[in-house]
Amino acid sequence: MIKVTNITHFYEKDLALNNINLEIPKGEFLAIVGESGSGKSTLLSVISTLLKPTKGDVFFENINISDITNIDSFRQKNIGFIFQFHYLINYLTVKENIQIANELCLDEEIIELLELLNIEEIIDKYPNEISGGQRQRVAIARALINNPKVIFADEPTGNLDSKNSKNVFKIFRKLAKKGTTIIVATHDLKLAAKADKILEVKDGEL
Amino acid sequence: MISSALKALKANRLKTTLIYLSLIFSITSIFLISSISNGVISMYSSMLKTDGDIIITQAKISDTFFSNVDITLLDKINTLENIKSSSAIIVGASPVEKLPIVAIYGVTKNRFSNYKLVTNNYPKENEVLVGESIFNQLENKTSIEIANKTYKISGVFESSIGFENGGVVLNIEDAGKIFNKSASMIMVNSKIDANIDNLIKNISTLSSKIEVKSTESFVDNYNQFKIIQTSSNAVSFIAFAMGLLGIVSIMSITINQRKTEFGIKRAIGIPMRKIVFQIISESFILGFFSFLSAFFISHIILYFIKNSSHLQGYVNGEMSSSLALYVFIASIVMAILGSVIPALNAAKTDPVILIQGDKI
Repeated sequence: MIKVTNITHFYEKDLALNNINLEIPKGEFLAIVGESGSGKSTLLSVISTLLKPTKGDVFFENINISDITNIDSFRQKNIGFIFQFHYLINYLTVKENIQIANELCLDEEIIELLELLNIEEIIDKYPNEISGGQRQRVAIARALINNPKVIFADEPTGNLDSKNSKNVFKIFRKLAKKGTTIIVATHDLKLAAKADKILEVKDGEL
Repeated sequence: MISSALKALKANRLKTTLIYLSLIFSITSIFLISSISNGVISMYSSMLKTDGDIIITQAKISDTFFSNVDITLLDKINTLENIKSSSAIIVGASPVEKLPIVAIYGVTKNRFSNYKLVTNNYPKENEVLVGESIFNQLENKTSIEIANKTYKISGVFESSIGFENGGVVLNIEDAGKIFNKSASMIMVNSKIDANIDNLIKNISTLSSKIEVKSTESFVDNYNQFKIIQTSSNAVSFIAFAMGLLGIVSIMSITINQRKTEFGIKRAIGIPMRKIVFQIISESFILGFFSFLSAFFISHIILYFIKNSSHLQGYVNGEMSSSLALYVFIASIVMAILGSVIPALNAAKTDPVILIQGDKI
């Protein structure tokens, strides 16, 4: 589903990724691990279309990402993002935060998603009225509302306690079973062990 | 979108208030300077327009204050065809009691009826008729001193024109002695159906020292009005620019603080145009409400200005619907223009900041 060929990336003169080659099949739950500064977040940014690599290509279902003219529309249709911080918009309710990703979604779809994540009771609350774990689950709901083919998660449990962290990984597992490709960058090896496959990034190399 | 824009404005209360205040100050300034200059122009042109279709001033003179026209022309003008009436006026100014400047109008007797009497009589020789707003401020209600000469107050008049209501009227002969001229202007009232252009030509032949214009043309080309209008436009432009800069700077700070909001929107695929549209919607709402607030504030300020005894009624703002429309458009343009650059910057927010932090 995703193919990465000869990716090299520099931040000015600093080498962040060095000739990375990678293939990720559909429905795989992949964990990218590595120490802070190893290049795992840069790799995730490149694969997820957020960062254009200095050299090399990323193919999504055999389409070269650099050939896509409307990257916004491409992301909206195919990709879901979950970040270490939830990045919910404080002045919007949970429902509205999810709706910004898909204005046309029905209330029933949002409720169904919130039920899947066990947070249906907070639909009309604001981010500052709910717990950290609930916020991260709302961020997951926002990522899922468009039924993306791939979910990219960067340290999604970085601000969560162990119970909530396990819950998030359980949700990822469920989604992978349904055919969604999950790519998670994490430094937590215990949680990474719950993935189908683990890739370690060290000094910009796999 | 509008509801989301309103929520965003509410969420960023301090900055919203600052932008709102900045807009209100600018819009109110534009309103006040424009309406006051319009008011001044309107008062003076109303005074001139009530007195006829043709105005005669001294040739090649830049201001009616310095104009000196031979009053004996009145007799010659009255012999011309299609003339209904003609009158003369001396326009001057003098300090009266503690008031530093008061308009003095020396007029021919046939113009007295223009001044609606409130009390007593029209002035005879060595007498003056005093405008209501000046009379109220006089300590001595029986006589006033102009150019070291005492004039008895014959009566009080009222006028809706601030310049008149705050002025003193006397016989043109008495005014001529004060200002050393026979008339500043002659006003001619033509008969209905008279050809004004022909009349102007005929009057022009009477003396080479005069300039004859239709009242309309005189008002349109009066240098003082042009100066007032140009100054007003310049000050309005400065107020507009200050408001614009205020919005740009505060909006830029706001946008910078909301970078993660725009970053996440970009990451989840919301197109740049939608982000720009949301910010412009926020500005539009601010511009609209600021305009309404400024409109009401300006009316209140103008009311106090109009009724301030210190200003003797000489400053009287006139807020026409066309001015309101022009300021409304300026307000919206200011708000939108001020947010375009910050909005474009917001739309360009690289979503990778959400992962990479400050690295990018």
